[in-house]
Amino acid sequence: MKKTALLLLLFLLIWSCSDDNPSGPDADDFDREAILLNWADNIIIPAFQSFSTTTDELETAGNSFAEDPNQQTLENLREVWRTCYLSWQRVSMFEMGRAMDIDLRGNLNTYPVSANESSPNPDQTIQKNIQTGSYNLELPSLRDTQGFPALDYLLNGLADSDADILGYYTTHEEATVYKKYVTDLVNRMNELAEEVLDHWESGYRDQFVSNSGNGANASLDMMVNDYIFYYEKALRAGKVGIPAGVFSGTPLATHVEAYYSDGFSKELLMEALNAAQNFFNGKHFGSQQTGESLASYLDYLNTMKGGADLTQLINNQFESARDQAENLNSNFVVQIETENSEMLATYDELQKNVVYLKVDMLQALNINVDYVDADGD
Amino acid sequence: MQKNLRLLAVLAAFTFVSCVSDSNDEPIIDEPATYEFTRDGQSTVSFTGQTARIQMGIELFSAMSDFENTTEELLLQMYRNQTEDGGDADPFSKEELNNETKNIKGKVAASTDYFSSNTTASSEIKNQFEEWLSAQVNEVFPNQNTLAEPGVAGQIADGSSTRYVNAQGLEYNQLVAKSLIGALTADQMLNNYLSVSVLDAGTNRGDNTDGVPAEGSIYTNMEHKWDEAYGYLFGTAANKANPVPTIGDDDIFLNKYLGSVNGDEDFTGITERVFNAFKLGRAAIVAGDYELRDEQAQIIRREISKVIGIRAVYYLQSGKNAIDQEAPNYGSAFHDLSEGYGFIYSLQFTRMPGTDAPYFTKSEVDEFLSQLLGDGSNGLWDVTPETLDTITNDIVEGFDFTLEEVVN
Repeated sequence: MKKTALLLLLFLLIWSCSDDNPSGPDADDFDREAILLNWADNIIIPAFQSFSTTTDELETAGNSFAEDPNQQTLENLREVWRTCYLSWQRVSMFEMGRAMDIDLRGNLNTYPVSANESSPNPDQTIQKNIQTGSYNLELPSLRDTQGFPALDYLLNGLADSDADILGYYTTHEEATVYKKYVTDLVNRMNELAEEVLDHWESGYRDQFVSNSGNGANASLDMMVNDYIFYYEKALRAGKVGIPAGVFSGTPLATHVEAYYSDGFSKELLMEALNAAQNFFNGKHFGSQQTGESLASYLDYLNTMKGGADLTQLINNQFESARDQAENLNSNFVVQIETENSEMLATYDELQKNVVYLKVDMLQALNINVDYVDADGD
Repeated sequence: MQKNLRLLAVLAAFTFVSCVSDSNDEPIIDEPATYEFTRDGQSTVSFTGQTARIQMGIELFSAMSDFENTTEELLLQMYRNQTEDGGDADPFSKEELNNETKNIKGKVAASTDYFSSNTTASSEIKNQFEEWLSAQVNEVFPNQNTLAEPGVAGQIADGSSTRYVNAQGLEYNQLVAKSLIGALTADQMLNNYLSVSVLDAGTNRGDNTDGVPAEGSIYTNMEHKWDEAYGYLFGTAANKANPVPTIGDDDIFLNKYLGSVNGDEDFTGITERVFNAFKLGRAAIVAGDYELRDEQAQIIRREISKVIGIRAVYYLQSGKNAIDQEAPNYGSAFHDLSEGYGFIYSLQFTRMPGTDAPYFTKSEVDEFLSQLLGDGSNGLWDVTPETLDTITNDIVEGFDFTLEEVVN
């Protein structure tokens, strides 16, 4: 019996070896540098340039508001904040190089925000920072009291009416600190965005492009890992799965991105989804033109899954996720509280691409996953 | 392929052994499906003291990160369950723990086999924990809102988590938790309650054979000792009689890391091996088969020691990977290496089957730890990948698992 099993195993081993397609293209023969060039010059750097422009505008609008808080400067700041937040969705996935070193995503977009004593992390909150007036935004423990979500709270969440919100910056006894907090936030956001862009433009781009080999420390392997990590954790889980209660069992409406803004969460998701798909297809920033990409790499390798073209499968799946997400209320809080099943259905569509990207694509490209879920302690 | 052949060989060997060891005059072992044993219709299984100590450890660990409410005095009281001058203390949130007369400290480095005639080392180890607890409050708490840097305690990012480290990059709460796995749970289990010296102490063997219960109890002394060993692993299990399905989820100490190791496909099945050995050994005690009992104790010693070795290596290598890159991820590395520090510390409490010795002695462990912190003047900030590999390889050599099995 055991012998038969062994023979069978041996047979399977030999059979599976001989089944390998020795004449097909090899993942390692592809010109990886062409992809890196397209990514750096046509997608990543232009996206960071654009983002940095919007953070610069955000800094200006934030300082104007703090100098003279009124209905007009408030609305202007909100408007610029929205533009900047949308622009962020096009760079959030590029968490490598300096962005990784300074934890750009953690500093700019950790949510739910820790607003006050009823927040998940009541020890370190925006309200506490303002009360004490002493806070060091560089501390990792203060990541959930800054960035886009903190501005969301300060511009939209302090009170129900604009008049009452403005009161915090005009008549409130701590009005000076409230104003300073806003300027500290926008100054820091712009500073971090500029730091990352400067780094790309002052040498890192060449280093990124020339590191075109394969292996765990090659640019392509790292970028692809960052991309899939972003898609899985920040986009799929952060924007949809966590608030829909996929991981907790109970929906958590407070965990929606841009929680305090009425009807902005869906727009942010759609922007992020487009950016993720465009990156997959190598579409140039702000243009319809495409260049070398994960899609063209898979095409070069003729990657098939179950008789279907993997590039096509992935693009179709992006479409399915987008179609499903179109059904959602523009405000995810409303969606979760009225019909959460649509959120769950959106999560399911997003999840299907995790499998295509993380399993099928990585296998075809001969790239190893370099992250594991933390063991939670 | 190689593995399958080896497996076959091992299977064949077992078949052979079980054939020759069969004989007619051995007691009949009545092994239940779960860890349930009764006498006159009443359960004879009891390990409340172990459950309590695990729960105390969990509260202690969590208090170490409570910057708002924790004081040095509180941590020391949680460790001792007493005030400084020996009075009654109520440091825990659970009332039943405050009512306990038991405490963690008394059972740290306190096994009969290793420490009954080595109170110098015992006391040194017991005090080591107090030093870590005090240092958490005196060194780390004041720097809660300081960015950690070489030589400066403070906070550091590890992914989306924030870690609090001392000037050397060490997290004291990890040192305490992971070192307790050896100093408290493994030491009590492997070198005390599963030891012949304890199981057969006094008139235990005769009493057990004759079914004479301990005074005022339903169980015999020997049964109880064995159960107490079991309690250090499964004492907080959701289902204490059948703890296998929730392995890893029931505490933050040995149970958790037996679960982690079992989750690695190279080691899957280790939970069942340990649980079955506990169960069969206990059934053997009921049947009076002391040879079979001791065989099971050896299995447990081997497997539990292995868990500690595997996790030490695992964290050293995770830490190495975090450091060994262009922009070292110090936060992630320090967290891994602090856990690794505790598991290395725990190695001195392991037990090599068939011997009276650990896989690594206290002085070998001390040497590993000084290597870990010795590449520069700032401890983990300076440690090199080479040093981490050296320690890793030394540990792997002492065990019968490979580096490949741990890291793949």
